[in-house]
Amino acid sequence: MAPSALASLPAPLRSLRLKTKQQELLLRVSALALIYVLAFAVRLFSVLRYESMIHEFDPYFNYRTTLFLTENGFSEFWNWFDSESWYPLGRVVGGTLFPGLMVTAALLHRLLRALSLAVHIREVCVLTAPFFAANTTLVAYAFGREIWDSGAGLVAAALIATVPGYISRSVAGSYDNEGVAIFALLLTFYFFVRAVNTGSLAWALASAFGYFYMVSAWGGYVFIINLVPLYVLVLLVTGRYSQRLYVAYNCMYVLGMLLAMQIRFVGFQHVQSGEHMAAMGVFFLLQVFFFLDWVKYLLNDARLFKSFLRITLTCVITVGTLALGIGTASGYISPWTGRFYSLLDPTYAKDHIPIIASVSEHQPTAWSSFMFDFHILLFLFPAGLYFCFKRLSDATIFIVMYGLTSMYFAGVMVRLILVAAPAVCLISAIAASATIKNLTTLIRTKSRSPQTTSGKTTGSKSAAKGVVDQSLPFQHNAAIGLLLGAFYLLSRYAIHCTWVTSEAYSSPSIVLAARGHNGGRVIFDDYREAYYWLRQNTPPDAKIMSWWDYGYQITAMGNRTVIVDNNTWNNTHIATVGRAMSSYEDEAYEIMQSLDVNYVLVVFGGVTGYSSDDINKFLWMVRIGGGVFPVIKEPDYLVNGEYRIDKGAAPKMLNCLMYKLCYYRFGELTTEYGKPPGYDRVRGVEIGNKDIKLEYLEEAFTTSNWIVRIYKVKPPKNRS
Amino acid sequence: MPPRSDHAAGSGAAAAATQAHFDSIDPLFHVLRVLPFSFLLPPRTRLRLPSNLALPSPMTVFSLILLTYFAVVSGLVYDVIVEPPGIGSAQDPGTGAVRPVVFLPGRVNGQYIIEGLSSGFMFLLGGIGIILLDLAVDRTRPRSLRVSFGSAGAVAVVIAYAMAMLFLRIKIPGYLW
Repeated sequence: MAPSALASLPAPLRSLRLKTKQQELLLRVSALALIYVLAFAVRLFSVLRYESMIHEFDPYFNYRTTLFLTENGFSEFWNWFDSESWYPLGRVVGGTLFPGLMVTAALLHRLLRALSLAVHIREVCVLTAPFFAANTTLVAYAFGREIWDSGAGLVAAALIATVPGYISRSVAGSYDNEGVAIFALLLTFYFFVRAVNTGSLAWALASAFGYFYMVSAWGGYVFIINLVPLYVLVLLVTGRYSQRLYVAYNCMYVLGMLLAMQIRFVGFQHVQSGEHMAAMGVFFLLQVFFFLDWVKYLLNDARLFKSFLRITLTCVITVGTLALGIGTASGYISPWTGRFYSLLDPTYAKDHIPIIASVSEHQPTAWSSFMFDFHILLFLFPAGLYFCFKRLSDATIFIVMYGLTSMYFAGVMVRLILVAAPAVCLISAIAASATIKNLTTLIRTKSRSPQTTSGKTTGSKSAAKGVVDQSLPFQHNAAIGLLLGAFYLLSRYAIHCTWVTSEAYSSPSIVLAARGHNGGRVIFDDYREAYYWLRQNTPPDAKIMSWWDYGYQITAMGNRTVIVDNNTWNNTHIATVGRAMSSYEDEAYEIMQSLDVNYVLVVFGGVTGYSSDDINKFLWMVRIGGGVFPVIKEPDYLVNGEYRIDKGAAPKMLNCLMYKLCYYRFGELTTEYGKPPGYDRVRGVEIGNKDIKLEYLEEAFTTSNWIVRIYKVKPPKNRS
Repeated sequence: MPPRSDHAAGSGAAAAATQAHFDSIDPLFHVLRVLPFSFLLPPRTRLRLPSNLALPSPMTVFSLILLTYFAVVSGLVYDVIVEPPGIGSAQDPGTGAVRPVVFLPGRVNGQYIIEGLSSGFMFLLGGIGIILLDLAVDRTRPRSLRVSFGSAGAVAVVIAYAMAMLFLRIKIPGYLW
């Protein structure tokens, strides 16, 4: 009927009909291009406000290693032993980092230079994360189209472009592993779902290479290698085993595992680590399924097959359990790492590993963080799950599992909102797209009612449809109203995302900004001031002791050797620094002498009100130091369990090294109008020890706003 | 593989069964058919799964997942780990009286138990509202039910959004300033 109807149409109408698809394609491509630009541009607040610079702490190490890679080549980078970190231990860089981010930036830099664009590697590093965030929108579109339809794909791309949960780790200057890893994660999932849907070996191969890219970029790849087998297991349990699934998982797992072993940091973990055993177990289970399926096909007798099935399952379970037991007992299979286990048992980190619990982004998530990072997606997410359950398929089951697992882990650790963000956007896009489609269908149905009425004589079915269509009262107006409401909510989402990006996620944290009393921005550039002072005024071989937060920045910007840094791979070494900070000055001096420390750097916010300073982090130094050295006891620094710095503070608190270094000469300073000298603007009290005397150290440099203070360790006294 | 021969007659089937005659030329098939069962004996087991054991329906699983979702976004994990009080308390600077505070001020990633559960309920209400809108579009339902679902859905979404925004403004005083 359609061809004849098409042929019967006049030529202009026929060409117009042909152009409808072209118009749709043009509209879709234009929307995607705008979303791409939006995803890039919304992340540039910090570049526009401050300048093109690296943010936070970890990104400085990533930048320093990328600089090394571009200058010395990959083989030197791979074999690099860094003597400027973790003095006196040093660090084998090639074997202790994920090289994906650095290699990506170096390749982009080389590509730009090949195009005769003479950019500095720092500019490439600053803009790598926004670039990959823009690419992630394209993957989200393809993924949404694979799971639901192209409308949901477009909505998913638009949502993920601005979702604050993803922006927090992909703004310009946040040169960290997550910048490229989320792109790789979503790409791996998209390729795998496509492989399951099509049974194609090529897509499974692409998924394996996506997984390889993810493994090279971020330790969060463990999420992939556990979610995919969990998904396969759920498909098996629900009776959805198919040849397509067999081909997809086998290829992805085997090739992905072999490729992952090429990353030196990962090595043989795929066959020796507890976190990877689930994937191997499901792989073997899939072989058993295939074998039993084949036997069932060969044997005609159902009763005979049932006996065979029982025997085979008993043997397989026995052998599997035995292998796992022997592997674990002999130490070949290592147990779960502390961080992995703390995701399964949320109370584990709090009791056993203070260094994991001390990181603010490892805290559990409150409702307001969810609201802050997702906004109306928190309403759309359960609705999207409903639509997925209404239309169950292999693809929708995957996105449901991805959404649920990532949301649970986001609840356990606030940082993992980043991993949940793509899943929440995709599921919410399904809800938004389906709801808007429902509403527009109602509106179009109403507009076609005159045709239906006039065509009543053609058939009873059409007449019945017309009757049913007009049954709801005010259907047309209600649908229009609800559609406007939906667009209002989506626009509020866009406004919220832009505000959050601007206010909360576009701060370099190395250049601090505050609002003055006249509403303008006040810039505190004390960190760079201190690091440049170190670079220019200290000997090149000077050793700097500080809390590990500032280690990467000191090596990258100050170009000096540090005792500990943000890699946190040696808990004892960090505990030694924590012990030094917590001890009296003479005891700390002995520790500093044994570590060959020349300068001590502390961060102090009492003048400016900067609350992420070392006094606020001090209790963690006590806990981490006390975890290794029992001589440090947390109650010694508290008064009735309360942390105080005023006159009522504990005596050990008032005389420990950290207190002395932060508050040295602070007692003479008037910080706030109407307050006595020595008023700490972060803690809101007057300090208890105003007349601090230093015996083994001397003040070398204090920045303009007193945020960073550097002290020189005096040489031992002459004993002659 | 060549097709297997069918034995329609009763006596013929019995005779064929005793002969154990198969037409397959696959040697592995014959070995597999004979060898394992010459020394393997099925164990006598009384283990039997209940006959009505079946996977739950998708909507049942979805309902359970909704409850889990409510627990997560309410910050239940946060409540377990950090153990905050149900509601906080603050001292009135003027009179010195202690009055309850429902929302923990000044911290984005912090909460009391009651505020978490209230906010989680609002998120759930908004989601269910959108689901009701979809149920209202279903033409197979009677008219009055569709009107009720549509109205309830729209009202639920509006209330949930308004309350969530109110909570967020209480939580973050400078929100959208």
